[in-house]
Amino acid sequence: MKRLAWAIALPIVAGLAVMPFYVSNYITTFTIQTFMWIALAESWNIISGLTGYVSFGHVSFFGTGAYTAAILISKAGWHWFPAALTGSVTAASLALIIGYPCLRLKGPYFAISMLGLNEVVRALVSYFDSLTGGGSGITLSTMSSISPLYYSMGGVALAGWFITYWILTSRFGLRLLSIREDELAAEAMGINTAALKLYAFLISAALPGIVGGFYARYVSHIEPLGTFPLLTTITMIVMCLFGGRGTIFGPILGATLLSILQELVWTRFLFLHEAIFGAIIIFVILLMPRGILGVLQQRYRLPRTI
Amino acid sequence: MAGNLILEVRGVSKHFGGVTAVHRCSLALEPGRIFSLIGPNGSGKTTLFNLITGVERCDEGEIYFKGEQIDQLPPHKITWKGIGRTFQVIRVFPELTALENLLVVSRQDWQPSCRRAREFLSFVKLDQLQGEFAGNLSYGQQRLLEFARVLMIDPDLILLDEPAAGVNRTLLNDLLSAIRDLRAQGKTVLIVEHDMKVVMDLSEKIFVLDHGEMLAEGAPSTIRSNQRVMEAYFGH
Repeated sequence: MKRLAWAIALPIVAGLAVMPFYVSNYITTFTIQTFMWIALAESWNIISGLTGYVSFGHVSFFGTGAYTAAILISKAGWHWFPAALTGSVTAASLALIIGYPCLRLKGPYFAISMLGLNEVVRALVSYFDSLTGGGSGITLSTMSSISPLYYSMGGVALAGWFITYWILTSRFGLRLLSIREDELAAEAMGINTAALKLYAFLISAALPGIVGGFYARYVSHIEPLGTFPLLTTITMIVMCLFGGRGTIFGPILGATLLSILQELVWTRFLFLHEAIFGAIIIFVILLMPRGILGVLQQRYRLPRTI
Repeated sequence: MAGNLILEVRGVSKHFGGVTAVHRCSLALEPGRIFSLIGPNGSGKTTLFNLITGVERCDEGEIYFKGEQIDQLPPHKITWKGIGRTFQVIRVFPELTALENLLVVSRQDWQPSCRRAREFLSFVKLDQLQGEFAGNLSYGQQRLLEFARVLMIDPDLILLDEPAAGVNRTLLNDLLSAIRDLRAQGKTVLIVEHDMKVVMDLSEKIFVLDHGEMLAEGAPSTIRSNQRVMEAYFGH
């Protein structure tokens, strides 16, 4: 099974590594966006897929990373790569501050608190306009080549995969799953659920932080409304659920399939693509709450490490 | 506090809104013995378990384990001190396999944990089902899995909340002998159970709760002949 997985994964990774040399800019750009969604879906999977704490505020970490990177690039003259890495540090710091109180909340209360976080961060970004540019945002110079961003975004997606694999094949991962299954029982069995949730939350926030940093460099202009849309969180949730929450390859599969679908629908039905996307959400929740890999896992007794 | 006690509960109370679940309840357990806690439905047995294991906080009173006050500790720290429990309503991790249900609670290295987990699964005759999701097991099997899981923690004091419920007669005999084995190993066991045969066969001392208050305590023969217990418990 492990060999088969490597036999499939290695040619795909090798193909993606040489792809920018052979395909059009359109395909490269589309792949960067797909990498971005993969990394975001993976990050959401770590906290929500594994512990069951549904985060509706993940875009706040993405936006924090984007603004950190954009400020460091535009005001301090940093190179975009270390600036984006710093974005992951600020996003994780935000997660530490907000996670400690909010992870004590359960179910819908946690979800609502995370929605609130998104609004608070967006309002703060708009308020401190001397630093963030307020509603006008921050504009960065255009990049001469998008290849470095292609490899950077791909690297984050790959790192997200490695992190998920490491978590799910360790006792740390099993303990996160036990929190999802029955937190009270886990706590009564000697599992320090508060600490484990916080660790998972920090890892889960660091990934969108760095993705946000790369995104800021990629789009060259960020402003509050476009950087903190709830739709970004909803999209990463749907992608993770569609592929299979709590699995290793689920977020990759879900993000890839839905990115392709979104692109096809968007180019053909300009005014309907959001409605079609909404219909997919309803379909997944109603008929496939475990997602594609979750269903395959249960039906064919596949290992957890898929 | 007497130095030879493993657990001492001193005058604990717990209220839920206007309802008093446990009222100034005290009990003391000596190590290496099997105790039972009985009482009619709603008498406060499970609440008392929850107070001892930190799942609920006491409104008043104190709880000592091996001489150390534990009533302010979170549940996981109480477990680390050496108290393990099962639940009245089974709480296995349904989407983890039977083996993973045991591995997840172990604090040993991975390989020794796997070995021990397989031993415990074999002990409760679930070794053939180690790769099965716990949620797919029968009620009785889940009950046994929960029992194996608490053994995996290797606690000094084991609280079993209705361990015999839903377990078939053959498995029940194995379970009872396993509980006796625990005592032989020096463990202390406190059981909440409605099956009076199990209680009378196993227990060296019985505590009787009624309306959240400790009604009586003593050897099984004493409890059996206690008129107040008969009235509270059996209504005659």
